[in-house]
Amino acid sequence: MTSYSKNEVLIAVKDVNLSYDKQILRDINFTIHNIVRPGMNQGQVISLIGRSGIGKTQLFKILAGLIPPNTGTVLVGLEQQPVKAGQVGIVAQNYILFNHRTVYDNLRLAMKHDSITLGDKEKDALINDYAAKFDLTEHLKKYPMQLSGGQRQRASIIQQVLTGNKFILLDEPFSGLDALMIDRVMELLLQVSTLDELNTLVIVSHDVENSLAISDTAFILARQKDQEGATITETLDLIEMGFAWNPAIRENEKFQHLVAQIKHKI
Amino acid sequence: MELLKNIFSPLTQIKGRTSIILIVVEAFLALLLWEIVGQNGLIPVPSKILTSVVSIVTSAYFVDNLFSSLALTFTGMGISIVLALLVSYLSLIPVFAPVAKFIVKCRYLTLTGLIFLFTLLTQDGHQLKLSLLIFGIVPFFVTSLLAIIEAINVQEYELCKTLRMNNWQTLWEVVIIGRLDQVFEVMRQNFAIAWMMITMVEGLSMSEGGLGTMLIKSNKYIDLSTVFGILVIIFALGIFFDFLLRNLRHWLFPYTKIQVKK
Ligand SMILES: Nc1ncnc2c1ncn2[C@@H]1O[C@H](COP(=O)(O)OP(=O)(O)O)[C@@H](O)[C@H]1O
Repeated sequence: MTSYSKNEVLIAVKDVNLSYDKQILRDINFTIHNIVRPGMNQGQVISLIGRSGIGKTQLFKILAGLIPPNTGTVLVGLEQQPVKAGQVGIVAQNYILFNHRTVYDNLRLAMKHDSITLGDKEKDALINDYAAKFDLTEHLKKYPMQLSGGQRQRASIIQQVLTGNKFILLDEPFSGLDALMIDRVMELLLQVSTLDELNTLVIVSHDVENSLAISDTAFILARQKDQEGATITETLDLIEMGFAWNPAIRENEKFQHLVAQIKHKI
Repeated sequence: MELLKNIFSPLTQIKGRTSIILIVVEAFLALLLWEIVGQNGLIPVPSKILTSVVSIVTSAYFVDNLFSSLALTFTGMGISIVLALLVSYLSLIPVFAPVAKFIVKCRYLTLTGLIFLFTLLTQDGHQLKLSLLIFGIVPFFVTSLLAIIEAINVQEYELCKTLRMNNWQTLWEVVIIGRLDQVFEVMRQNFAIAWMMITMVEGLSMSEGGLGTMLIKSNKYIDLSTVFGILVIIFALGIFFDFLLRNLRHWLFPYTKIQVKK
């Protein structure tokens, strides 16, 4: 068993409710702690798992501060301030980038805001560094339309990392990718999560197997019997179970058993 | 054989060369048919029209008239696009939204009823023509521009938020430079309207000449082969500018070429 501890609260979701014409989300409560492992920058990878139409995207937008919940709050950061749009990075399902700018310019745009004080040369170096790490060097001069889905996704993730966001939400990061690309994305996400001690990735997905394989904590979003609206019905501590930080875990029999169980529940 | 089957079956992709051959062959056949059937009719046949095109183009007054029309069109287009862009961008600021909505509806106003008013308001024929042209084009421009703005994916605005841009930066990035290529496309598409209107407004004030003036004069003398000759010239120029604007767009915004290929 690897030694680790769960320290400060990084994200706290308290009593979040959302309804339109009917209730979508009900009493959503969860916290994400800073996981500390000696000798390394261990970030956090959390997944919110639920089937299509359950309200994941709505929860996603609430976490990002893009839509306010009817009641409840989302607190982020060590200071636990209410979330404001822009504090949390988003990698949308269709990997939105600015189509009128090259990949390089898209990445450059991420570092344009005031809280980044690097000079031009340092920014360039940083972009080249990430591009090399994530296999985008030869695509920097291309336009987003010229990239494959996987490349767009990587560019999109790097863009959010470069912004300086420690918290990054990913909407269905595994959908539309083949098995090989899914492995690549997992590697990439694990890499991003260990770039900084506070880096926290929140994956919103219906893909039970891949989401669990990459996460240290998973929340199951589902509807309870005779109740309107989805809520967190289960929390899985994958570190305790011995399934965290090891993408090869998908071959493990016990893990597969867990996946089957969860699939049944959502 | 395969080719013959392909050009008659629906939803078939044909290659660039085949489609050009199709256009040329069909145009040739149509002209040939016209030439044969139209021999004794009222409408002049292609060979006669061609002769009159040549004589119009080589006549002394043609260049002046052509430049008069082109200058008016380009001035009108230029002022209209600036006005339309201003109105469209401002429409994103709530106070100005009703103005934009009203201008869009102005497409349904007919110019004819307003000519008298415009004559009173303007000082000379040139101003009258220009203002009518602008009044005619701007609503169409604004309509197309607003449709572009309307079609922007909310996720693009959200991306700007995550990149910590403020509303002004977002407006600049997404709506202004992000859609500049489409503004160009709107200009190309609406150029047709401007080009069509030009002959109409030129008829209102003939002192400056222009292709429209030439057209009206020939109509008066029932000189049909000249009328058709002028129409052919107007048509050809329109197609030429359309082609020019499209290539200019690809050149200015290289990424638009990629979208076309897909
Ligand atoms: N703006 C809205 N107004 C009313 N209902 C909405 C709105 N947005 C989403 N919904 C409803 O909320 C539910 C959850 O949607 P969503 O969060 O997109 O699901 P998921 O992402 O889990 O597939 C759906 O039933 C959808 O119809």
